[in-house]
Amino acid sequence: MSRFRRNAVVGLALVAALALTSCTSGTDTTNTPDADASVTVGLVLEPTDLDIRHTSGAALEQVLIDNVYEGLVSRTASGEIEDNLASSHEVSDDGLTYTFTLNDGITFHSGNEATVDDVVWSLNGVKDDETLIDHANFANVSSIAADGDDTVVITLTAPDSNFLWNLTGRGGLVFEQADDTDLSTGANGTGPFTLGEWKQGASISLDRFDDYWGDAAQVSEVVFEYIPDATAGVNAIVAGDIDVLTPVDANLRSQVDAVDELTITEGRTTDKYTLAFNNARAPLDDVRVREALRLAIDHEAIIAAIGGAGVEQGGPIPELDPGYEDLTDVRPFDPERAKQLLAEAGQSDLELTLTIPNIYANTVSNVLVSQFKDVGVTLDVDSVEFSAWLEDVYTNKDYDLSFVDHLEARDFGNWANPDYYFGYDNPEVQSLFQESVAATSDDEAADLLAQAARIVAEDHAGDVLYNATALTAVADGITGFPTDSPNARLDLGELAVG
Amino acid sequence: MIRFLATRIVLLLVGLLIASALIFFTLRVLPGDVAQVIAGTQSTPEQVAAIREQLGLNVPLPVQYLDWVGGILRGDLGSSLVTGTPVVEELVEKAAVTVPLALMSLVIALLVSVPFGVLAALRRSSVSGTVFAVTAQALAAVPVVWAGMILVIVFAVWLGWLPPQGFPRGGWDDPAAAVRALLLPALTIGVVEGAVLLRFVRSATLEAMGQDYVRTAAATGLTRRRALLTHGLPNVALSVVSVLALQVAGLLVGAVIVEQLFTLPGVGRMLVSDVGNRDLEKVQGAVFLFTAIVLVIGALIDVLARVLDPRQRETS
Repeated sequence: MSRFRRNAVVGLALVAALALTSCTSGTDTTNTPDADASVTVGLVLEPTDLDIRHTSGAALEQVLIDNVYEGLVSRTASGEIEDNLASSHEVSDDGLTYTFTLNDGITFHSGNEATVDDVVWSLNGVKDDETLIDHANFANVSSIAADGDDTVVITLTAPDSNFLWNLTGRGGLVFEQADDTDLSTGANGTGPFTLGEWKQGASISLDRFDDYWGDAAQVSEVVFEYIPDATAGVNAIVAGDIDVLTPVDANLRSQVDAVDELTITEGRTTDKYTLAFNNARAPLDDVRVREALRLAIDHEAIIAAIGGAGVEQGGPIPELDPGYEDLTDVRPFDPERAKQLLAEAGQSDLELTLTIPNIYANTVSNVLVSQFKDVGVTLDVDSVEFSAWLEDVYTNKDYDLSFVDHLEARDFGNWANPDYYFGYDNPEVQSLFQESVAATSDDEAADLLAQAARIVAEDHAGDVLYNATALTAVADGITGFPTDSPNARLDLGELAVG
Repeated sequence: MIRFLATRIVLLLVGLLIASALIFFTLRVLPGDVAQVIAGTQSTPEQVAAIREQLGLNVPLPVQYLDWVGGILRGDLGSSLVTGTPVVEELVEKAAVTVPLALMSLVIALLVSVPFGVLAALRRSSVSGTVFAVTAQALAAVPVVWAGMILVIVFAVWLGWLPPQGFPRGGWDDPAAAVRALLLPALTIGVVEGAVLLRFVRSATLEAMGQDYVRTAAATGLTRRRALLTHGLPNVALSVVSVLALQVAGLLVGAVIVEQLFTLPGVGRMLVSDVGNRDLEKVQGAVFLFTAIVLVIGALIDVLARVLDPRQRETS
């Protein structure tokens, strides 16, 4: 990708020059992608460590899954499950037996062939080793075994409607049994890209893997540059230092829009910017107080304050996940009714603390402070480091209100877990969730989830302030960059420069 | 002199010991836990406990401290709790950005402060002298972040002369690109630090102008300016050097801010993210090394001043 540098004066000259060249050479423009291209992608959050089996964090999955590591099945950007290393899969009618047929000629980056034994070994690792991430997802698995050279059979003790989905995550990734790569700093997968170089605190590069079993990647190299500061990121793409930037801070969008060679795509996500209530602690154990807080929030104003990059989400499940239903009418913006409810609950001069990790701008908390003030609730904002948030809020549950982005897809189970930091304990929700897990048809599972989600919404167990819209800036000539959920998964198999 | 050196060395060692204890134990006051950071929000308490065990975080603090100090004595600053990379290895890599950045900033600061500081002193009663002094006063009050943002808007976004952020992936393989990447950040620190130094150079020069030896030199027929340049400036230089030693700490703080602002993969940015992740082993190693450098430079300056300035030898 050629570097273009823009500014007021040179930019005009450049546009003129481009216009001229397109006039003269317009006829020989072809759409053959440039196989030698290198694409630089600006991202915000860098992984702390590359060991995808032991370290959590979306930043790792975003870059490594699908590109470097692959599983039997994968998920599309919009959340559908599709076969990946498996050429096909079958689930028995009772939901207990999963049979996967492997594709031919799968090779690890080490050069060795990926066998059915590697698959069985990898999956058994997650089942047996409790230090591996997603170990809990394999609780229902009774056996994982090879059947011949190209078939893997997984048997469950009870049906699990989430199991296939879970296999699209870390737990389902396939590693080489005989490999001794240090996965903290290196990688050896089967994906279309090999790990190039990780410069901690700066960038990670991926190189095309020429012996890839499937369709080869269309570019020779992808470089992820980590730019934590939103303004620096926008400056970088406007100056042509990077080719793609995700996410673009919505409040800085106009600077990107002003550049003709850049396009902004808007994608859906499962990012739920959640205002959590500590349901286990007074006065938030009173549903009237929780409802009052939700009615006091003008969600439209919050979305406007963050630059418009979000949609309202009335319940706990976002549009991309099964069980979604528009539940916004459960919590209309009604400050008068909120005051009434607070009075009924005997709460005058209510004072609450909002614990928020300092990685988030204070835009949302400022709006909340003023909206809550309108109904007579004083909100103290306590901005803490993320590691302190993890300890105080997540682990010790010592908080009133909290605000974080829950970006994981299909994470409704948190509302059915009384030990989760939400402190929400509703046996009906828990049993509906269990039934949805045990369901053997997707429709049935989704229907049960929708019922449970409605109860959570009507209980006002928490509030999703908005479901984020992903803004991605892409330079002209680049195609195939994922639009939906780019902060969860970046499958770059289709990325091309033409 | 030997006695002086011996006392100075003992003082330095005691300083290092106190610093190591302060660094180690104050970091432990921070809330949060690296094991929880590694395990993330989808983990069970058992997983977090297993990671703590594995990283040796359950060992009593005094024992951890002694282990760490023992390591330093063997020349081992420990390893990252998250990735396992040795602290020294990563520091060397990041120093390839931070050290040149600090040096460039220092050069810019000197280029700004020395000539203009002397000029401001020489012309203290003229309009230009007042302009220098007032400008320096104003610039010294500018926050580094703001100065950086203005420089980015003007030189990177409007004019497009210099990159707004980042460092070449090949590092110093392409020296021109690396220097270009460091120029705006170095200017940001250099101008602000230079303004601070300028005021110092100005007052040191003014003081020198009032000294007997300059007046005597002037009385022997030299112009006041010439007298100052030949006899006064060496003395000015001496006091500027000792202030510079103090400024090293300022430069490092500036580097932390500027590396965030310009997304430079240097020591400062590394420290910020390590503190955030509670990778305390790495933070304490890096901070200790910095402290050691500042203390050693301080000691060297003391010795140097004693060698250069006969008056100090007499007084002890």
